[in-house]
Amino acid sequence: MLIRAVGVSKTYRGPDGQPVSALEGVDVEVKPGEFVAVAGPSGCGKSTLLNLLGLLEPPDRGEIWFDDVCVTRLSRRAQCPVRGRSIGYVFQSFLLISGLTALDNVLLAARYVGRPRREALPVAEALMERLGVAHRRAHYPAQLSGGEQQRVAYCRAVLNAPPLVLADEPTGNLDEGHAAVILAELRELCRARGAAVILVTHRADAAALADRALRLRAGRLDTRGGAESP
Amino acid sequence: MVSLGRLLPRGYLFTVLGIAVGVGGLVALGAMAERITRFIDGGDRFVLGQISVAGEGMGMGTGFTAGGLLRASRIEAIRRVAGVATVQPQVMLPLNPTTSQFLTLTQELILGLDPAVPMSNRQYRELPVRSGRFLRAGDRGVAVLGSDFAASRRLGTGSRLDLGRKSFEVVGVLDKTLTAPDRFAIVPLDDARELWLRRDPLLVQVFAGGAGTMSRADLNTGAAVSWIDGADPDAVARRIQAEVPGVNVTIPGELSRLLRESTAFFSALLFGIGALGLVIGGLSLSNTVSAAVFERIRDFGIKRALGATDLQLLREILGEALGVSVTGGVVGIGLAAAIGALVNLRVLRQGQQLFLFSPRLLAFALVFSVVLGALAATYATVRIVRLSPAEAIRRGA
Repeated sequence: MLIRAVGVSKTYRGPDGQPVSALEGVDVEVKPGEFVAVAGPSGCGKSTLLNLLGLLEPPDRGEIWFDDVCVTRLSRRAQCPVRGRSIGYVFQSFLLISGLTALDNVLLAARYVGRPRREALPVAEALMERLGVAHRRAHYPAQLSGGEQQRVAYCRAVLNAPPLVLADEPTGNLDEGHAAVILAELRELCRARGAAVILVTHRADAAALADRALRLRAGRLDTRGGAESP
Repeated sequence: MVSLGRLLPRGYLFTVLGIAVGVGGLVALGAMAERITRFIDGGDRFVLGQISVAGEGMGMGTGFTAGGLLRASRIEAIRRVAGVATVQPQVMLPLNPTTSQFLTLTQELILGLDPAVPMSNRQYRELPVRSGRFLRAGDRGVAVLGSDFAASRRLGTGSRLDLGRKSFEVVGVLDKTLTAPDRFAIVPLDDARELWLRRDPLLVQVFAGGAGTMSRADLNTGAAVSWIDGADPDAVARRIQAEVPGVNVTIPGELSRLLRESTAFFSALLFGIGALGLVIGGLSLSNTVSAAVFERIRDFGIKRALGATDLQLLREILGEALGVSVTGGVVGIGLAAAIGALVNLRVLRQGQQLFLFSPRLLAFALVFSVVLGALAATYATVRIVRLSPAEAIRRGA
């Protein structure tokens, strides 16, 4: 098993200060090379689940295991290389750094894992070439279209060839054509490289590309009608 | 070598300007405080460097600049007092007799010296000459000007200067001392005596009527007295007062104390200006730097999602803070110096200087901006790294 969430729960404080449960005792397992879609209505906890799996925030209860390591028990410092080397993120709002060029945004993924720039540079350029954004390498995010920004963000997510890619509504702000490019890349990532992909999506066509789909409802996994098939 | 472009990331223009305004305010207020401090210290240094003696009944503030008569016999008597090293007869006249004579440290003065007698002020054995030369024995009809005196009239070596309907050739201009000599026109003693004679109707009548026992050598408004090495200047001054009748002696220690007391208001003002500068500059700078860091909270969330450790982020932010603080500090110093130079240029016409941008002030401002910038950036970073990456991204959205 590549990643395993065991009984994870997360509660936030609402605007009135009252606790709001976002996830309640969720168990998830994902194997290497598997493409898993996470679907469900807005506010059901999809993004929260992705954040917990990606170590972007700690669960209130439960554990996350990566390979054979319980990463939720690691120190803050020890979690950093796991995030940098083993997990790639693609967000709905791209989350590029506005002060860096497209190429530097991609190379940022190498900086924090101690990978030399000269070693990462040809990989970054090849990725950008393949995604059709190499000619925009010197442009800043504000000078790129939404589709281009998402392709740059995708390049950054896979630069270090992580075994797990988490994609949170990566096609939410894209038109059909650009969405298809990103979905095809994610699919290809599983097939060709054996990486696991967990995709949060509203789109039925996107979920249909997955090996299986998890449905969340009010912070819990919805097992009615067989959750394991898309 | 790290280039400024790498130290100063894109989008920091307004941060730099914010810091520049804060540092500029600090430097400008500091430069005013420096100017006043130097003036007070210079005056203190001057009075502690000599024993000033004037004709009886005239204080330093009045008689020493025209009116007090210290006759040659009295000067000889002073020379014989134990502990006295040299006595330099002087004629000190206000350039403009209608100006109040109380403010002897701020008004323009004509100082007559005998260049054959060594300078009696132990703090100013030689006045620093910026261009040309100082007076020489046997000179007549020449003048050496203080820097402000020369600058306000645009005079330089070789220029001509009219003083009391007598024309002088400027043979030298002094370096800036930031105290009284900056506003002096120094002329040979005999020329100064002649100017005094021309100005004072009473003296004209006295000398026209034969002057009795008086000669031109008696025309001194005062004398600067120095003491032998190891002597206590206050004790020597008191001895002169006791042994030489008909003179008014200033005790250096007492005068220094009086000067300090009379400038206590300025000292308090200086403290206030300095404190105000630190508060305004410090608040502006730290607020700007921490706001700039908090503004980029989303970027730091993204970087942590990409694996950045707390230390890597802190190092990165401190590097950026250093870049913007140094740039902002330098721009602020430049801004204050430009404004100060313009104001100084304007007030120079009145023989004044408002700002003094001393190296210690500029170094302090730069170190202050870097240290405070680093502290503010560290504070903001520590606050940010406490957040989870997801929380940082959410807050910065």
